[in-house]
Amino acid sequence: MKKYIIWGLVVVAVLAAFYLFGAYNNLISNSEAVDNKWAQVETQYQRRFDLIPNVVKTVKGFASQEQTIFADIADARTRYSGASNTEDKVKAANQVESALGRLLVIAENYPDLKSSQLFTDLNVELEGAENRISVERSRFNDAVTKYNLATKRFPSSLVASYFGFEEKDYFQSVDGSENAVPVNF
Amino acid sequence: MLKRIVLLLLFFPVLLFAYASPGKPAGFVNDFASVLSGQDKTDIEAKLSQFEKDSSNELSVVIIKSLNGDTIENYAVNLFSEWGIGKEGKDNGILLLIAIDDRKMRIEVGYGLEGALTDIQSDLIINNTLKPAFQQADFYGGINRATADIISATKGEYAAPTDIGTRALYGMDLPNILFYGFFIVIWLTSILARSKSWWAGGVIGGLIGVVASLLLGFFYTGLISLILFIPFGLLLDFLVSRAYQKGVATGYYPWWIGGGPHDGGWGGGGFGGFGGGHSGGGGSSGDW
Repeated sequence: MKKYIIWGLVVVAVLAAFYLFGAYNNLISNSEAVDNKWAQVETQYQRRFDLIPNVVKTVKGFASQEQTIFADIADARTRYSGASNTEDKVKAANQVESALGRLLVIAENYPDLKSSQLFTDLNVELEGAENRISVERSRFNDAVTKYNLATKRFPSSLVASYFGFEEKDYFQSVDGSENAVPVNF
Repeated sequence: MLKRIVLLLLFFPVLLFAYASPGKPAGFVNDFASVLSGQDKTDIEAKLSQFEKDSSNELSVVIIKSLNGDTIENYAVNLFSEWGIGKEGKDNGILLLIAIDDRKMRIEVGYGLEGALTDIQSDLIINNTLKPAFQQADFYGGINRATADIISATKGEYAAPTDIGTRALYGMDLPNILFYGFFIVIWLTSILARSKSWWAGGVIGGLIGVVASLLLGFFYTGLISLILFIPFGLLLDFLVSRAYQKGVATGYYPWWIGGGPHDGGWGGGGFGGFGGGHSGGGGSSGDW
């Protein structure tokens, strides 16, 4: 009788160890995936930043009087390069986005600018950059969802809290952007 | 175009898109809207298939009827990742997506070809080749010339694969696993059939279960595979041992015991699916 109890305990211990390894490794992989996706988002941000000087230069050639917007863009870029953590980076990137958006709306008022070949090409590139950013961001959010589920679901939530796997933040939209402003073209 | 950039800049991720899969790929050309004749389709298919043989790049043409409210960019990136256009690790796929009712098209470029087929080049192909043809409702002419343009844009970026045989275990796709798995099962049955024991199958089944769950790294998978593999192994051992005994008695051995003649090849011909490549929103979109 005693022998069976010992064997039973051994089996339970083996199964528990088995589970612990699996759950821990699973959390690690999910967490790595989130970091990896974030790196992809930053790569695409860089692509956008590399384009901005050209866009600004082109717009300046036709609309040099729009000084505030140029200053805003420059300011947001400086902030992004100075940002040390993810949260600040996201904030600065959102700021770049809204400034760039306004710049393009302003460009609508300059027919010569709009019809220039250089500006058209830059827009193709910019559209590509923005599309890539949006793709990588949604993949980042998917990875965060997967990771967060793993940290919250029972019983892997026990392993997560024991080893200190904390919930990660989703990529958030710019404050106020949910109140869609009509854009007329 | 400006409007789209502004929308992306200001209103992501408020926009929620609904992607619905059109189904499985039947070849490089997938005409879900029936705008190409059988002959046209075969022509383009042959060209794209040859392109894949020459360069390993996978170029797929997909024509759908409607986006059903989705954006073409979102549809393209989702379809691309669902089908895995391009080779795994090389990401050398290109998707030319055309939505007939929405009058929109997009060239979505895999990560590995973004340098060869730039956004500007994609934009030029869309506006100078596809758009004028589609405005005349000449779908075959437009697609035929556009695919030729895309092919010439990518020439030289990738040589034909030379690293076959050096792929790692996780690079193995399902057909490969099934292929090797089949031989392992044959090998096991031939041993189990000859062995005297009836329990060895259960032990081997249990071991396979443990290894499988360690590889997959999940507790539930482990438990399920143990539950599945042990009885399966026992049953297999029982069946093949009995069949072998019968074989000894009658002199006739079933093919799966091994040693008998093997016949039949492995598939061959036809479209085997795409290679598992990825894209990340590169390329360009347009309308007509």
